[in-house]
Amino acid sequence: MSNHQTPTQPASGTSKPSLSLNKDLIGGLIFLALSIGYGLSAQMIPYFPGDEYEPFTARTLPYVLSVLGTVLSLSLVISALREQQQKKQEKAQQQGLDLPQLQPALGYDWSTVIKLLAIMVIYAMGLKWMGFVISTTFFLFAGFWVLGERRKKVLFGASLPFVLAFWFALTQLLDIYLAPGQLFAALGFGG
Amino acid sequence: MLDGILTGLGTAVMPMNLLMVFIGCFVGTFIGMLPGLGPISAIALMIPITYGLEPSSGIILMAGVYYGAIFGGSTSSILINAPGCSSTVVTAFDGYPLAQKGQAGKALALAAYASFTGGTISAVFLLVAAPALASVSLSFQSADYFALMVLGLTAVAAFSGKGQVLKALLMTVLGLMISTVGTDRSTGVERFTFGNIDLMDGISFLLLAMATFALAEVVMAVLKRDHLKEEENETDSSQIGSMAVTKEEVKEVAPTALRSSVLGFIVGVLPGAGATIAAFLAYGMERNLASAKEKLKFGFGSLRGLVAPEAANNASSSGSFVPLLTLGIPGSGTTAIMLGALIAYGIQPGPRMMIDNPDVFWSVIVSMYIGNIVLLILNLPLIPYISKLLMIPRTVLVPMILFFAITGVYLVSFNTFDIYMMVAFCIAAIGLRMLNFPMAPLLLGFVLGGLMENNLRRALMISDGSLSFLWERPITLVIVCITVLVLAAPIVQSLLQKKRSKAAQKAGQADSENSNGETA
Repeated sequence: MSNHQTPTQPASGTSKPSLSLNKDLIGGLIFLALSIGYGLSAQMIPYFPGDEYEPFTARTLPYVLSVLGTVLSLSLVISALREQQQKKQEKAQQQGLDLPQLQPALGYDWSTVIKLLAIMVIYAMGLKWMGFVISTTFFLFAGFWVLGERRKKVLFGASLPFVLAFWFALTQLLDIYLAPGQLFAALGFGG
Repeated sequence: MLDGILTGLGTAVMPMNLLMVFIGCFVGTFIGMLPGLGPISAIALMIPITYGLEPSSGIILMAGVYYGAIFGGSTSSILINAPGCSSTVVTAFDGYPLAQKGQAGKALALAAYASFTGGTISAVFLLVAAPALASVSLSFQSADYFALMVLGLTAVAAFSGKGQVLKALLMTVLGLMISTVGTDRSTGVERFTFGNIDLMDGISFLLLAMATFALAEVVMAVLKRDHLKEEENETDSSQIGSMAVTKEEVKEVAPTALRSSVLGFIVGVLPGAGATIAAFLAYGMERNLASAKEKLKFGFGSLRGLVAPEAANNASSSGSFVPLLTLGIPGSGTTAIMLGALIAYGIQPGPRMMIDNPDVFWSVIVSMYIGNIVLLILNLPLIPYISKLLMIPRTVLVPMILFFAITGVYLVSFNTFDIYMMVAFCIAAIGLRMLNFPMAPLLLGFVLGGLMENNLRRALMISDGSLSFLWERPITLVIVCITVLVLAAPIVQSLLQKKRSKAAQKAGQADSENSNGETA
């Protein structure tokens, strides 16, 4: 018998059962905490006098959602726990080796992603203080750099000219107002 | 109806709108070809541009992007075996083996013809089905709408695959939760703003869509180091080969294309199913119908195996517009994002859309067809050139997409708080994606949240706080029953499966005990 994959199976997205079990547990617990927190903060929604006689208030849907979220996440946690126990029993029977289950998460390129996310946050801060052109140029330059681009032609050629062209299209052609950086306004330029 | 079609045709063939279809298809094809970026991201990235356009032009542009993205997805499936979106995963089964045999051109051409057939047939169906359903839905009341929305949301969850139902439901609830942030529209009370002025207006759907799809998909690609794999793509685009298809081949695949188109349209109309399921079903159907000899070809470059999913996924894309345009209820993530865009234009899709905005209603339907023609006569010959665009180094492309996503949101609100929020949502989305939570239900829940609350409020007010509105009218009762069935089906299925596996285990244990006893 040939052992090739049957074509009707999706090519991607199939993960090892042991891994997804652990993931379900984590996901379920996160959602459980979230649903409870959401329900608790729903009590902070102000009530109008007489609202207690109304069939539907601003709190109704949040309460319903909180209960739904709690029930669903609890069922996810329970089903994950149950399957984990089953797996453990099977493993105990087989006495196989237990591999650390979050191992694959360590194989990802976290450092690049964290750097990219940090650049985005800095970009947001920069937009306010430095204005569109300078901060966007910095953002693109830093983005290319973080992803491993070292060719000067690309680093400079794809950042500043692109930003200037985009700025021109926005402000001159589409008449979209871009606020100048507050730093310059504070120093007395532009504004 | 003829009046409507003529109005639509008049709007759709305006030079500006034709240009929009063309741009949409082109950009959509390009974004769709990038592995990891699907139609939702493509549309999200285009929305900021559509805000400056007329509603009909904007929607036409987005419809073009949608088709283009699916077409682009199949192109990358065929050329580099890296489906651009989930609905074209099946295309790679037979498309990529064909490309490996040096018949990439033929595969691309057949995929385009199949998509065209799917698009044409479903456009005709849409033309008939949409007005008919719209006239029926005029009699719907808020209780029916509420029930329909619950059905739509649960169906999306139920169709999301084995072991994913609970997670999809949780994501839907999360989407609904996020939709309650901001000022409550009916009472004017602030909810979950925690005194933050920036949250008073609620969270914009564009922000959420960009963060959870466009941003998260790009970042996930970086996370998996996809940006370092660009060299693989460079070789393939130059060896596409002839695009000619022989008469025999057309004869062989024509019935397949017709069958799959009809199936695709029907699946598309159902809430929650969508293009991916349509493609898988059509492929499965074709495989079952094939003769034993042909069955062996499936997975190794069968033309029928290529044509079936392509016709089906395109037909179901049109089909998914039926519930959106007539009921105002999106059945998939992609149509959810279109609903968000329509609402931003001040157009409420639903039974009244045909009366209030006939130009938008009909021009969308007509432009879908024009989009199919554009894909066939313009995109197909351009594929070798568009695939050259894939050679832009990912180190440049990734920051550019990030920039477009961030600026797209920033230029609508001019509030840097939105960018921080995007980053936060993006981080959450990456975490959820890594934990195998599906993202589309979140978007669907978010977009439908406000509408659902309004309808529930109205229904409860009318019935004086009693839940009897759920079973008082026959239409509502039927919808509620279907919802319960849809929800119960996966639970029953998994229970049955467990029972069976337990029985099998017991039998296995008994066997091993027997054999142990014998050896001892």
